[in-house]
Amino acid sequence: MIRSLTLNTRLFFRGAYLSYVALFAWLRPVTYLASKVVGPLMQILFFALLGSFATGADTIDFYVIGNAVHVVALSGVFGVSMSIGGDRWNGTLPYLFGTPANRLAIFVGRAIIHVLDGMVGVFLGLLWGVLLLGLDLTQTDPAALALTILVTSFSTAGLGLMLGALSLITVNVMFVNNFVYFALLIFSGTNIPIDRLPAWMQAVSSGLPLTRGLAAARAIIDGASLPAVSGLLVEELLIGLGYILIGYVFFRWFEIQAKRRGTLDLL
Amino acid sequence: MNAIKVDDLHRTYTVRTGIIRRSVKHVVAVDGISFEVQPGELFGLLGPNGAGKTTTVKMLTTLLLPTSGTASVAGYDVVRQGQQVRQRIGFIFGGERGLYWRLNGYDNLRYFASLYHVEPDVARRRIPELLELVGLEDRADEKVEGYSRGMKQRLHVARTLLHDPEILFLDEPTIGLDPVGARQLRQVIRDMQQERKTILLTTHYMFEADALCDRIGVIDHGKIVALDTPEGLKRHVSDLSVIEVEVYGIPPETVDQIRNLPFVDTLAVEDRDQRQALRVQTPRGSEAVPDLMASLNGVRVGRVQVREPTLEDAYVRLVSGVDGSG
Amino acid sequence: MIRLRQLVRVALLSAEMGLRHAATDAFVIFAVFVQPLIIAVLGLFMLRERGGDYGMFVVVGSGLTGLWSSLLFVSGNAITTERWTGTLEVLVGMPTPLWVVVLGKNLAHVLQSLGSMVLAYVAASLLFGYPLTIAQPVPFLISLVFIVISFVCFGLLLSPLFIVNPDVQRFQNGLEYPIYILCGFLFPILLLPGWTNPVSYALSPYWAARALHAAAAGEATAASLALDWGLMLALGAAYIALSAFLFKRLLDKARRDATLGFQ
Repeated sequence: MIRSLTLNTRLFFRGAYLSYVALFAWLRPVTYLASKVVGPLMQILFFALLGSFATGADTIDFYVIGNAVHVVALSGVFGVSMSIGGDRWNGTLPYLFGTPANRLAIFVGRAIIHVLDGMVGVFLGLLWGVLLLGLDLTQTDPAALALTILVTSFSTAGLGLMLGALSLITVNVMFVNNFVYFALLIFSGTNIPIDRLPAWMQAVSSGLPLTRGLAAARAIIDGASLPAVSGLLVEELLIGLGYILIGYVFFRWFEIQAKRRGTLDLL
Repeated sequence: MNAIKVDDLHRTYTVRTGIIRRSVKHVVAVDGISFEVQPGELFGLLGPNGAGKTTTVKMLTTLLLPTSGTASVAGYDVVRQGQQVRQRIGFIFGGERGLYWRLNGYDNLRYFASLYHVEPDVARRRIPELLELVGLEDRADEKVEGYSRGMKQRLHVARTLLHDPEILFLDEPTIGLDPVGARQLRQVIRDMQQERKTILLTTHYMFEADALCDRIGVIDHGKIVALDTPEGLKRHVSDLSVIEVEVYGIPPETVDQIRNLPFVDTLAVEDRDQRQALRVQTPRGSEAVPDLMASLNGVRVGRVQVREPTLEDAYVRLVSGVDGSG
Repeated sequence: MIRLRQLVRVALLSAEMGLRHAATDAFVIFAVFVQPLIIAVLGLFMLRERGGDYGMFVVVGSGLTGLWSSLLFVSGNAITTERWTGTLEVLVGMPTPLWVVVLGKNLAHVLQSLGSMVLAYVAASLLFGYPLTIAQPVPFLISLVFIVISFVCFGLLLSPLFIVNPDVQRFQNGLEYPIYILCGFLFPILLLPGWTNPVSYALSPYWAARALHAAAAGEATAASLALDWGLMLALGAAYIALSAFLFKRLLDKARRDATLGFQ
């Protein structure tokens, strides 16, 4: 009994360690530079320039903030879903399911580092905005902004967890992940104001993370106070929790199916 | 004119390890080899794994640059006249890779035929012939990803014959094949030799070299330690007899002891489940048996046999040091 | 002597093979068709504010992003893919020069990615409810021919470049947007600081975008087209020369360092 507990604990930590190591593969300097610094900068530049071409140079902030906050999707969607799905390829999947009480802890625990990583990415993006594109952050309440980014990163990671659980049973993982990442550009208000979208698209927007968090961020940078956006943040948080719940259901369903069919080790 | 001429060829690899503390190691793969192959000859390079066989073949097929020395194939220098060499040779490195697995066998051959500059009408005629030669005519329209290892190997053989080259390089062609497949392939190789093609074959299977080759170059640690016909190589050890002793659990100290006995030329030990097979080469023949048994005192002994040396024994002697010291 | 006809045959067969492989690859389908379509949707929504005849503008711009993605990811990885399937060694040992094979594959990828422009055209037409018109169809089509030629040459440069310097390949993902920006796919480069202009001028996609946008909008003149087409050809020739140098360097290095085989 004690032995199984210590064994499972060891397995749990080893699994968690593996996922952190997998993330830190990203942290080799050149790779980190390329994907977390240069990549988002290029996206911000492109859409900021396109946006100012489209709606006038005075609207550039809209696009800068939009694409800076969208950076949460990089770690939230890709990072998180890969840290779940990655086990499938490493062969460490059986270990995940071996620990009875800790499944939720493993499931959510892996996302934490990506939530933080996402926040760093957004701040870098906003920094680029200030340095290169004249973004004015002087009206911003820093604590409010930080909280907003945290909540947004969290809820996007929730979406990532769901996608990660889904990736355990689908084949075209990267296709789905890429599609969601780009779809967020359209639906979340990053580059197109929500009220300009047709009704059915607005319905999709309201079901996605990032939408409300982005709106809150724009408001805060414009000088709004935390209480003014608290409603949005609460809803954003709930959306994130909702996705985590759905993801967890997928996760457990997959485990049950795999154990029933004995396919746990199979890719 | 020689079909293949190798003159003091060297190849050293530089291996860099470590990220923080870089260390550089130089691995000598080929350490000054020289040999010649006559047109129409089936020449074997025989040696253990890591001896430098594949490296030599890669240099001769222009895939690798020598560190020093020269080699020419069909009269053309492999370094400076690579293009002319490539037109006249075919090569197989075998294995699972080297084919386009989303295409079927026929299309793979069609593609490679064009790369070899084979005219389409010639290719159209030759591809079915080759498929039949290697026994793949029924499976030619299946994707290569579904082929077994042996089938892929046979497709490689077909590929290499598309442009009817004068000189063929076959690097361990039967490795990984089941016995039937291997035997089929050896027959194909014999057929190719009938057509007076020059073939350089590498292998670590002694019996294969013995059965197929006109001459064999024994290579070990990047050097040629012997070069002769199979008969010549066996004569190399004709002064020796081989005593084979089956023992059960021989301690290492005893092995060393035996190795150092004055009448023992070489000692090879082979593990077979619970038993070990000792092969002792000695000029004293059956006279040495009593002394040998004496030094095996305390070890349980099974069968004892005295026989004539084979090519394998010659090989063991050669790769364990020419002077015969174990 | 190797006859030209044989080389052309190799190139065409390589193209056929490249098309077959790429047609079913999910990654290719996303990068070359789905992503440009999403960019088209974004462009259509965003530029609606601007007014004017922006429909074809977005179609051309997003189609060009598809062409670029195809070059960057698929053609750029051509040699690495061959090494991975173990066929690079086989190819190098053949009498056909490697660049002919790569050229054939590039041709396949570029032609395939023209499909992304078609797709964007269909999507935009559906959105608007009527088929979009190209003001100067003949110059438009001729420009497309020049574009195929110059993009194939550009692709020939990318493939060895990524291998000779592996660090460049790590930035592969980061090279998408810069080309959209510098080559004026979806907005004119006069939005950019002047010192970047020389870089734009050295990239053949810039001249491609100029020609197509002008022909679509009916603003192309004989002079402007001559400039665009001429520069696409000239730059194409320069890319070929540079790639010939890189291929030789690449192969010599690989043969010296024994990196032709699967690592």
